[in-house]
Amino acid sequence: MSNLKKLVIEPLRKTNPVTVLVLGICSCLAVTAQLKPALVMGASVTIVTALSNLIISLLRKGIPSRIRIIVQLVVVATLVIMIDQFLKAFAYEVSKQLSVYVGLIITNCIIMGRLEAFALSHGPGESFLDGLGNGLGYSLILIIVAFFRELFGSGTLLGYQVIPQSFYEAGYMNNGLMILPPMALIVVGIIIWIQRTRNPEMQENNQN
Amino acid sequence: MKKDINSNRYIFLYATILIVIVAVLLAVTALWLQPFQNRNEKNEKRINILTAAGIPDVSTKNAALLFEKHCTSEFMLDENGNPTENDEGLPVFVIDRKTSVIPMQGNGLWGPIWGYLAIASDGKTVVGATFSHKSETPGLGGEITSEKFQGQFARKQIMDNGNLVPIEFDAITGATKTSNGVKEMIDRTLGNYSAYLKKFAARGE
Repeated sequence: MSNLKKLVIEPLRKTNPVTVLVLGICSCLAVTAQLKPALVMGASVTIVTALSNLIISLLRKGIPSRIRIIVQLVVVATLVIMIDQFLKAFAYEVSKQLSVYVGLIITNCIIMGRLEAFALSHGPGESFLDGLGNGLGYSLILIIVAFFRELFGSGTLLGYQVIPQSFYEAGYMNNGLMILPPMALIVVGIIIWIQRTRNPEMQENNQN
Repeated sequence: MKKDINSNRYIFLYATILIVIVAVLLAVTALWLQPFQNRNEKNEKRINILTAAGIPDVSTKNAALLFEKHCTSEFMLDENGNPTENDEGLPVFVIDRKTSVIPMQGNGLWGPIWGYLAIASDGKTVVGATFSHKSETPGLGGEITSEKFQGQFARKQIMDNGNLVPIEFDAITGATKTSNGVKEMIDRTLGNYSAYLKKFAARGE
């Protein structure tokens, strides 16, 4: 039981797909200017990683190894298109905000990475949990980055004004750089720095 | 008989079956969700038109009802700015018998942008504007849909002594291409509608 729990918990920390495996950085830059798209993006990616892991794991004994990447792509693309269609039908506002990035989930390396590294060699239950864990790990970083970018870049959270008007009157200004993509990289860098400082065993040995 | 999962025969068969299943699945989903998506798009258009014309509190729920109530007529214009029976031409939506709402289309940084501009019955004062986009960056070009950006268009003058003047507004920092796209879109659309707008101005003076 603790083993299964580990599959979900570990990617949130020591095997985090963004800060440790450094996958999925592209969308991390793109959707984190505000918190709301980051939340929806995180949820969508989690659903896609979990379900595609599950499906590929169920199919794993029948997939010819020579076309396995194509099969994986077809499965992921199908799931992503379906999610895109569902969002357009039932969450139109959000789908407008995420615009192209939903389609770009297909290219998110975390999904293919987990399919290759895990789902092809593990059972459906474990694979589902692994996908869930990695999706959540990705979402966690997305949410942290989006929190700081929206707070300091626009002074809002989820669209609501958080920094009081009196601050602005006293000379406080929103940091325009926070809204620009480079700041996402810097925030991710800071998260990696903090994480490695707190877990010395994660630091590589550079003794030569 | 044990099947060889790496034989060419098996690979072709596997790929074919997989593709057929996926194609059927996607086709069914698309057909099933089509009516919902169309309704959303239609509602969206109505919300944008009403909001541009300054009707408060339009939401997805009451959009159809309010549109029915406020949109007194919609027609096409010929090239001389007169209403025409033809299906082709420049569309105009009249809200509450006085505000003319005209649709605009243009290009942002990544893809198309569009919007609606509401003009008062004097033919020269902007009542309001709404903008939408297909794929502008959230937080940058995507901000053209924010109330802050759209709100600044109210009460702007588009005519001076019976001539169109280029629109001026505060661009979005970090989204120069999108902002330029908005400006180009408004100026070009107003140019197309100038005959229609000048009629109002002439009537008022």
